[in-house]
Amino acid sequence: MLEKLRNLRRSEPQTTGDPFVDALRAALGPDQVRYDGAHRSLLSHDASVFDGGNSGPVCYPTSTADVQTIVRLANDHGRNVVPRGAGTGLAGGAIPLGLPVVVAVTRMDRILEVDPVNRVAWVEPGVVNLDLTRHLTPMGFHFAPDPSSQQVCTIAGNVANNSGGPHCLAYGVTNAHVVALEVVLPSGDVAMLGGLEPEPQGLDLRGAFVGSEGTLGVITKVAVRITRNRPAVRTLLLSFGSVRDAANTVSDVIAAGIVPAAMEVMDQPITRAVENYVGAGYPLDAAAVLLAEVDGLAAGVDIDADRIGEIGRANNATDVRLAGSETERALLWKGRKTAFGAIAQIAPDYYLHDTVVPRSALADVLTEIYAIADRHDVLVMNVFHAGDGNLHPLLIFDGREEGMMERVHAAGAEIITASLDAGGVLSGEHGIGVEKQQFMERMFTDDDLDHQNRLRQAFDPGCRTNPGKVIPSGHSCADIQALRSIPREVWV
Amino acid sequence: MDLRLDADDLNTCVQCGLCLPHCPTYRVTGDETMSPRGRIKLMREVQDNDAPVTDEVLDAFATCVQCRGCEPACPSGVPYGHLMEQTRETLTEAGRMTPRWQRLAMKPLAHPTLLGLGTSALGVAQRLRLVPARLGLSASIPVRREPLEATGTDVYLFTGCVMDTMQRDVHRAGLEVLTAAGFGVTPTGELAPCCGALHTHAGLVGDARRLASAMIDALDPDMPVIVDSAGCGAAMKDYGHLLGTESAERFSQRVLDIHEFLADHLAQLPRVEPLPLRVAVQDPCHLRHVQRVHLATRTVLAPFVSELLELDDDGLCCGAGGAYSILEPELAGSIRDRKLAAIDRAAPDVVASANPGCSMHLGSAGVPTTHPMELIHRALSR
Repeated sequence: MLEKLRNLRRSEPQTTGDPFVDALRAALGPDQVRYDGAHRSLLSHDASVFDGGNSGPVCYPTSTADVQTIVRLANDHGRNVVPRGAGTGLAGGAIPLGLPVVVAVTRMDRILEVDPVNRVAWVEPGVVNLDLTRHLTPMGFHFAPDPSSQQVCTIAGNVANNSGGPHCLAYGVTNAHVVALEVVLPSGDVAMLGGLEPEPQGLDLRGAFVGSEGTLGVITKVAVRITRNRPAVRTLLLSFGSVRDAANTVSDVIAAGIVPAAMEVMDQPITRAVENYVGAGYPLDAAAVLLAEVDGLAAGVDIDADRIGEIGRANNATDVRLAGSETERALLWKGRKTAFGAIAQIAPDYYLHDTVVPRSALADVLTEIYAIADRHDVLVMNVFHAGDGNLHPLLIFDGREEGMMERVHAAGAEIITASLDAGGVLSGEHGIGVEKQQFMERMFTDDDLDHQNRLRQAFDPGCRTNPGKVIPSGHSCADIQALRSIPREVWV
Repeated sequence: MDLRLDADDLNTCVQCGLCLPHCPTYRVTGDETMSPRGRIKLMREVQDNDAPVTDEVLDAFATCVQCRGCEPACPSGVPYGHLMEQTRETLTEAGRMTPRWQRLAMKPLAHPTLLGLGTSALGVAQRLRLVPARLGLSASIPVRREPLEATGTDVYLFTGCVMDTMQRDVHRAGLEVLTAAGFGVTPTGELAPCCGALHTHAGLVGDARRLASAMIDALDPDMPVIVDSAGCGAAMKDYGHLLGTESAERFSQRVLDIHEFLADHLAQLPRVEPLPLRVAVQDPCHLRHVQRVHLATRTVLAPFVSELLELDDDGLCCGAGGAYSILEPELAGSIRDRKLAAIDRAAPDVVASANPGCSMHLGSAGVPTTHPMELIHRALSR
C-alpha cells in the first residue's frame, strides 16, 4: 500500500498541455520523460558559469531506438534537441537554448564488448570514462583520454568535446581513440561513422563528428581504441621558486626529445588548496610544482626520469621527488585531478579558462595572465597541461559581489586575447560552447566560419541539434538572438 | 522558503559534479535530481530564489540515502550531510516531509520494553509466515533474547534500539572480544535506549536532541563509549554539532567505533588460528564516509581470518540507509544490485559488515553476512 501511495504522489498529470511532451510520454516509458520544474531547472545548467539555459522536457533513453523516437518526434513538432552526458562541461556546451528536449544519455551506460586482440571496445554513450578504464584494468588495458573529470564524465561527452587530459600529451586526445561512432542523425536516421577496418573508405565523417559539441547528432554507441598499460611508470614532483622556471623546464624537456606521458604544472595557491584536500605531500612553500610522468620499459623510464630531474635542476628546481609507491602516485594525481573542485575552500565561484599557447611562449603568457588578473582585481590560479601548452587559468571569485561578474568576464576576454596574440588557440579541450562563440571571429575568417556552418548543415539542415552553439551569430544557421530571448520560465 | 541553511555551507558547492558517481541514487538512475549536486542546487533555488517546494523537490530530498559518500569525494568539503539534515528538519516541521505514520513508527525506538515486545511479536508473526518478504527484514527475527551481563566498568558498549532486539548476539560477541582484550565492559542497555540517528535522518531533530541529552546525562562522563553499529557511532560522534554544547562535544570525543578502539589494543587479544574463510569487507557508509575509520576494520579482522577481500565499487552505498530500504524499496533494491554484483566479483565465503542495517539489507538478498565481531569471537572461542 505504501508503494501505491508513493506512486500516486509521484505520478504526473496525464496531459501537460504540450503535445510534444504528451507524444514523448506516449512513446517512451513513464520514467523516461520528465517535465517538472525541478528537472528542467537542473538540466538547464552544466558545470560552467553560464546561466540562461532553458530546458524543455528531459528524456532518458535506454536504447538507440529510444533516441530515434525522440529525434523524430522533435522533428514532427518542430522542436530542438540537445544531447547531454554528465553535465560536467565548462563551456556551456550542454546548456539547452530555446526550450529543446534534453536527451540525457546517462542511462545508456553499458560496456557492450571488449576485444583485447584488436584493441577495441564498444560502449554505450553514457559509460563513465573511469568506469571503462576500471573495467579494462584486469585485462591490462585502459582508455587513454583522462580528463580531470574522468571519474564522472561520459564517453559521449569526451567524443563531443574531443576531450584531452594530462596523459594525452603522449597518447593524443580523444580523436585518436575513437574508431567508430553510431549516431542518430538530426533526420532520425541511424548512421555508422568510421569503422573497425584499418582504413575505412570515403571521407572521415567520424573525424568531423568528434569535437562537434553535439551539433551534428546524438551519439548512441562508440567503438573506442583501448591502450595497453605500460610495464613501468615513474612519477616525479618538482618544486620551483617561480612559475617561469617550471614553464621553462617543460619546454626544455620536450626540446630534449623526451615525450613524457604527462607534464602538469600547478601554482602555489592551487597547490595549497589541493594539498588541504588530498594530503599527498605537495610542498606548500613552492611557487609552482611540476608533476611529470614517464612510462614504458623499466630501463627507459629510469633514464628519462633522471633526465627530467636534471633539466629541472638546471632550471632552478628547489626539490625533485620521485613517487615511492603506487599509493603516493595515486594521491598526487588525485590532487591534480580534483584541483578545480577544491577552490571553494577559497571562494564560492570559479571560471576555468582553457586556451593553448606554443610551449615556448608559456612563461611569457603566464606572466601576462597574472598581470591581467591583477589589473581587474580578480584572484587567478594556474593549473595546466604544461606539456602541450594548454593553459587553465582559474579565476576565483564570489559572484554575489557587486560588479564581480563583469570584471571576471573582462579579465577572461583579455586572457583569451593574450593567448591568441601569442600564436595560440581558443580552446584546448573544453570546447567553444556558448563560452567562446564571440571570440571565434578573432580566430577564423568569415569564410572559415561559413564553411564550418555548411558542414554542420550537411548533417543538420534544419539547424535543430544543439542550436546556438559554437558558431557565432551572423555565421550560424540558428537565430541565436531568438534562442536566447525566450524568457527563463517561472519554476512550475 | 527559508530552509534555515547556512549560506556559506551552501556556497561551498561549485557545481563541478565530482560527487555524482559517488552517489548511489544518481548511479542507478542517471538522474540529476537524484544527485548531490542537483539536490544542493534545489536547496539553493528554494532558499535563495523562493522556488516552490513541489512534490518533485520533496522527492529529490526524500530519495537521498544520506550515505554521505559525496562528502569525501568533494574537493571543496561541502558539508552535505548537515545540509540535508537541516533541510529535512525544516520541511518536516513545516509538515511537508516525514508523515505522521513515520513519526509514530519511530516512537518505540526510545522504549526498549515496547520495542522488544514488538520485535518478538514480529518474530512470531514471521514464523507464522505473516511477514511479507519485500519488507526486507532479516531471515529470522529473534523471539527471545538472553540479557547481556556486564564484565566491568572500563568502557561502555552501546547497545541501542533495533540492533539490540534484532542482533543482540553481535553485541554479545563484541562484549566478549572487548573482555578478551582485557577490558571490563558495561552494556548501556536501558541507560541509553536509542542514539537518535533515524530521527535525525527523518528530520525529527527535536526527538534526536532529547535522546542525545538523555544519553549524555545517563552515562558516566569518564568512561569511553564503544559502538559496534556504524550508523549509531556516526550519530553519537556528531552530538557536538547536534546539541551545540561543550558537554556534548566532550561526549562525542569519548565515542569510538569498536574497530577503531580495538585497532589500538590489538596486541592484547590472544593469538589464535585464523578461521579458514575468505571474508569480503563491506564498509558501512557511516563508518567509511562519515567516521572515516573503516581501515580499522581490516586491521582488527585480518589476524582472525585466512583472507580479506576488497570490493571494487569504491565504497558505494548498499542501499540500506537506516529506514531507507523500507521507505524507498525500489531504489534501495537497485542500489543493492550494484553491491551484489561487486560481492559476486570478489567471490567471498562471507561478507563482514559493521552495521546492522547493511547486514540485514544484504542478508535479505541471500548474501551470507556477519559482523566482524562475530568472526573474531568465533575465532577466539574455537
